[in-house]
Amino acid sequence: MTHEELEESVPLYAAGALDRTERQALEAHLLSGCASCHSALKDYQAVAALLPLGLSPTRPPRSLKATIMAERNSAPISAEAAHKEPARPSLEPGEWMNHLFPPVAPARSFSLPWAIGLATLLILGVGGYLAWNVAAERSVDTSKIQQLEVSLQEKSTKLASLHREVGDQTKALAELRNEMQQRVNEAADAKEQLAQRDAELEEIRVQLSQRGGARTVRTPQDELATLLQIPNVKAVSLTGSDMAKRAAGFLLYDSRTQKVWLYSVNLPECPTGTTYQLWAILDKPVSIGTFHMDRGHTAHLLVKKVPSFTDAKTFAVSLEPSGGRPQPTGPMYLLSRS
Amino acid sequence: MIDPTLLARVVKGDQQAFSQLYDHSSALLFTLAVRILGNHEEAAELLQDVYLEVWRKVSRYDVGRGTPVAWLVTLTRSRAIDRLRARAARGYRATNSLEAGTATQVADLGPSPFEMQANQELRIAIGAAVAGLPQAQQQAIGLAYYEGLSHAEIAARLNQPLGTVKTRIKLGMSKLRDGLQEWRNHGELQ
Repeated sequence: MTHEELEESVPLYAAGALDRTERQALEAHLLSGCASCHSALKDYQAVAALLPLGLSPTRPPRSLKATIMAERNSAPISAEAAHKEPARPSLEPGEWMNHLFPPVAPARSFSLPWAIGLATLLILGVGGYLAWNVAAERSVDTSKIQQLEVSLQEKSTKLASLHREVGDQTKALAELRNEMQQRVNEAADAKEQLAQRDAELEEIRVQLSQRGGARTVRTPQDELATLLQIPNVKAVSLTGSDMAKRAAGFLLYDSRTQKVWLYSVNLPECPTGTTYQLWAILDKPVSIGTFHMDRGHTAHLLVKKVPSFTDAKTFAVSLEPSGGRPQPTGPMYLLSRS
Repeated sequence: MIDPTLLARVVKGDQQAFSQLYDHSSALLFTLAVRILGNHEEAAELLQDVYLEVWRKVSRYDVGRGTPVAWLVTLTRSRAIDRLRARAARGYRATNSLEAGTATQVADLGPSPFEMQANQELRIAIGAAVAGLPQAQQQAIGLAYYEGLSHAEIAARLNQPLGTVKTRIKLGMSKLRDGLQEWRNHGELQ
């Protein structure tokens, strides 16, 4: 055949319309490496492969997939099978062109002696294979049993060690339980003691309230006592003037709380219509407050809140008309030593 | 979509990939097998053989030589024609004809499977390209492709000169090739 004839047969080849001789001729030509025929065949093959898409679709039975998936599992894996396949010539057009090669048509006539001979061979072959298979399986079974025994031994050892571990854990757990019980007991004791202390405290409170009545209100004395404990409170002592030589005074002032305390002793009784007045003297006297001495009293505590004096160092007490005066008018009775 | 990477996974023994390959191709291959063999049982048997062969020989698939679908279609057609011929050799007279095949398909039209729906555009293009051929060319190609007849057998069947049959097939295939130019190497038969 000429190249032109061969080339013309390519579309027929793709459609599957060549007879055996023609097919073989084109295949030989393709294997000889004709690039143009190869390329043309590839195009026509691609077209031929599209043809079934033009058919009305028919769905395969649902069970088919499961059957195939199951059968495939018993089939040898592809890689292995491929390994056993003999190498093909490099020019072979590929598996997708499998149909290009003539299908294996069964022989139309088959002589009886040949058939019997073949059948006998087949039976012998199968028998031999089965016998070999059984022997092989037995040896496989023996080795499997040995493996299983070894594995059983290992498992037993593991189980024993697990038993020991469980025993240890149980002991540890018992110890922990004891310890916990102790802690619970201790906690109960502590609780009891606490209750006892509460009761004692309550008793003391009752006693206190019985003794002191309503002594919760803070008195100036209390406040003074507290004040004496504060280190930065200023203290000034006052002495009696000629008017009252036995008199004396003690003055505290706290700039933080802006409070002044004057504790005076032995000041004479205020004549009717008069009052003592305490002065802070910086540039000029500033009145801090007034107080009254009654008959029979020898000590007095004056507490006053004074918004603005900080630097006064001199203090004095004078006798003034009742209600006091903005500036001292009467005689001085007490005077700080500055 | 059947792409070469799916086949590469099948080669490695990936069961899921094989399952996907089936899902994407089985309706097309079954349709083809039913068209050639004329009955569902045999088509199902054939598909079993074909997929097992794919599983065993997939490592021999060569990306450079055709799309995965072309490979599967060619393999299926080839094995189906083998069966058809073996059946004829056993004296079984295939009653399969274009009309009979069509009747079977119409009766079996179930819900359209995924792969068929996904290829709607391509299917329409192929349907149009085939329908655009003269009836005589369609018939000659159909007898060769679906019934495995050689041009000589077709000429005898149709009582036409051999040259006429050859020309019909050549012209028809050539027109299909040109008409499906953009699809030919599409390779994405989903």
